[in-house]
Amino acid sequence: MKTNKHALKANMTGYLFIAPQLILFLVFLVYPIIEGIRLSLFRINYTNEIFVGLGNYKTLFEDPVFLKSTLNTVIFVVSIVALTIVFALFVSSAVFDKNAKYVSFIRGSYYIPVMVSMVVMSMVWGFLLNPANGLIPYVAKQLDFSNVNFLGNPHTVLPVIIFVTFATNVGQAIILYIASMIGVPKDLFEAAEVDGASRTTIIFKILIPMVKPTTYYLIIMNIIAVLKIFVVIQLLTGGGPNNSSTTLMYFLYNNAFKYNQLGVASAVGVIMFLITLLLSVPQLRAMLKKD
Amino acid sequence: MLKKRFLVTALSGVLALSALAGCANKETTKPADNSKDKKTVELSLMLTPQWKGVMDPSEKGADYDSFFKAAADKFSKQYKDYDVKVKVEVIASDQRDELLNVKLNGGTPPDIFFENTFAMGDYAHRGALVPLNDIVDDAAKKDIDKKYWDSVTFGKDVYFYPFSHMPGTLAYNADMFKAAGLDQYIGGENEIKTWTLKDYETILNALKKDLPKDKYSNAYPMGLFALNNQGDTWNLAYLRMFGTKFFDKKGNLVVDDKNGVEAAKWLKKTYDAGLTNPGAESVSSNDVNAMFQNQKLAISFTNSVLFNSAKADMAAGKAPKFDIRLANIPSESGDPLTFTYVSGAAVFNTKDKTRIKVSKDFVKFFSTDPELVKASKNGIPVRTSVANEFKSQNPLFAAYDKNAQYLFNFTGSVPGYSQLRQVLYPELQAIYTGQKTPAQAMEDYQTNGNKVIKDSRANSVIEQ
Repeated sequence: MKTNKHALKANMTGYLFIAPQLILFLVFLVYPIIEGIRLSLFRINYTNEIFVGLGNYKTLFEDPVFLKSTLNTVIFVVSIVALTIVFALFVSSAVFDKNAKYVSFIRGSYYIPVMVSMVVMSMVWGFLLNPANGLIPYVAKQLDFSNVNFLGNPHTVLPVIIFVTFATNVGQAIILYIASMIGVPKDLFEAAEVDGASRTTIIFKILIPMVKPTTYYLIIMNIIAVLKIFVVIQLLTGGGPNNSSTTLMYFLYNNAFKYNQLGVASAVGVIMFLITLLLSVPQLRAMLKKD
Repeated sequence: MLKKRFLVTALSGVLALSALAGCANKETTKPADNSKDKKTVELSLMLTPQWKGVMDPSEKGADYDSFFKAAADKFSKQYKDYDVKVKVEVIASDQRDELLNVKLNGGTPPDIFFENTFAMGDYAHRGALVPLNDIVDDAAKKDIDKKYWDSVTFGKDVYFYPFSHMPGTLAYNADMFKAAGLDQYIGGENEIKTWTLKDYETILNALKKDLPKDKYSNAYPMGLFALNNQGDTWNLAYLRMFGTKFFDKKGNLVVDDKNGVEAAKWLKKTYDAGLTNPGAESVSSNDVNAMFQNQKLAISFTNSVLFNSAKADMAAGKAPKFDIRLANIPSESGDPLTFTYVSGAAVFNTKDKTRIKVSKDFVKFFSTDPELVKASKNGIPVRTSVANEFKSQNPLFAAYDKNAQYLFNFTGSVPGYSQLRQVLYPELQAIYTGQKTPAQAMEDYQTNGNKVIKDSRANSVIEQ
């Protein structure tokens, strides 16, 4: 006990240094998570809070829109993350050892959409695709095609959103991959060349395994980002047509702010938190594992 | 060492106290600096865009908040009890519920909200508004027709002070009608034309077939939208075209009857025949209004304020000029369908007695002041005295008055109306995209809608 007290005293300055960060972490991250879990067990009105146990979760699993949102979110996560990783690997492995100016040009070209706000990007795509006054439907009509409405067709709305999100995010992955690939020791490539390995073999046997930590990082970050996909849905489709493009985050938003079902919205939040946790833990463990 | 630790501890303390000070509640009342006895009360007033200017959009610097800033200034000068400051904030209509729900859940509702009252009824049911019975006097009851008081009364209490109203109708481009050879269907400039449903179908087909493509390229006969809940009252009106009662006596949806399904089929048939703009499932009412103003639609939705704004935009050269006129939404029976949005102020229950009292006094002030109430001419005045004063300047006041016999109560005064709106447009989208048959969509709308009404009724402080 005495030793503990002494250690505490000796390390006081250190604790004080980490205190601001710790306080912010507790107030702005831990407390909202705990409060979210608590709220998910209540039905909340302006005048009172009624404990309903797991009633909100039961309501959710009986709601076809929630199930549709979950399925859509899974489709988005799988498609966007896979597209981003594969395309970023392809571009990066093709250019990482080229002339520095060329690499910078490629990096810049893909990174420009990342710097533009998602709101702006969505509005630009909205301008292109809007069936009333959009450029693409207008051109299609001028060319005597039938009415084109990619956002109003349940079969095309998901691919459009996947493409828009992928196009906006892929620059980040390319930047990280190129940086990571430039850092791979040159002697490995030289040894492979001496052994007569083709470029494909070098990419698959040396490059991709060597940038594995970056891949894990990108997968985790992209999964978390895509799980929270919202702006593009809100601005392009509003979840439609007939909830065909609703995601968990959009469903949560609607319940919390439009329907005033704070308890149900909190339950969605808790479920999303658990999904993220489940997906992230094994990947984090693999990333931190020492070979 | 001790000095250093003391310094670090003191700095941390100051930091924590600053953070806490930032989180502290603001004082509702505090002594005024320049006054000996009067305390200052700061009110927040929110509104959605209604009309520009204090009295008229032609005023210099006219904006949506001009009227309330001027009213607050006038009120503050004559108010004896407190030194009142009013912060006026204009918010987008489609962001209203999001903003209010965040504010209510955070315990910081605005003091006053000025809006079309149909969109705010749920807040009365939720116990977030205070009754205004004590500021409604006999003179106001006499000057404002009973039907307006009925629309702002929930249970036994009045929750909104009626100011003006906005009747909803159709607007049409008479120039396009003439170009399509439809002169016989054009009404007078100050008339709200009534067509039968058969007439209406003839008009739509003629517009599609005979509208000159060189003059009106890419133009469509009628505006149709279902992207979200904005402008959904017109969709509700279309669903009544074949005579469905919509709500039963107990306040439940009964739209899944023969007439309701027939109306949904009519919408689908009209859409599929290319008599409306394409992509109705992903087009908003704003898009449709813009198309109409750009002469890409011959017939669109409108209300009195939108109609005046469209005319003002044309006069100011902001939009192409054309001959814009009004018509009723037709029905199979021949009797037209019309509705109105009553606009007025509500006072939120901020749990601060002083602010609630001052808010009520301010609402009463701008809703009864003989000069300020004249601003209601920007919509249609609810006060007979104001309507009479301005009827010579605006001949449409008489047309709207004549039309009032066809008004229907589109909310059914049911609890949960805001959420009920959220379950309609996905069903309309399903109809237009062919994901559901009109009958299936109406059945689902009724089932989902009645669940919303049932849950909201259980939580209503008024109906318990």
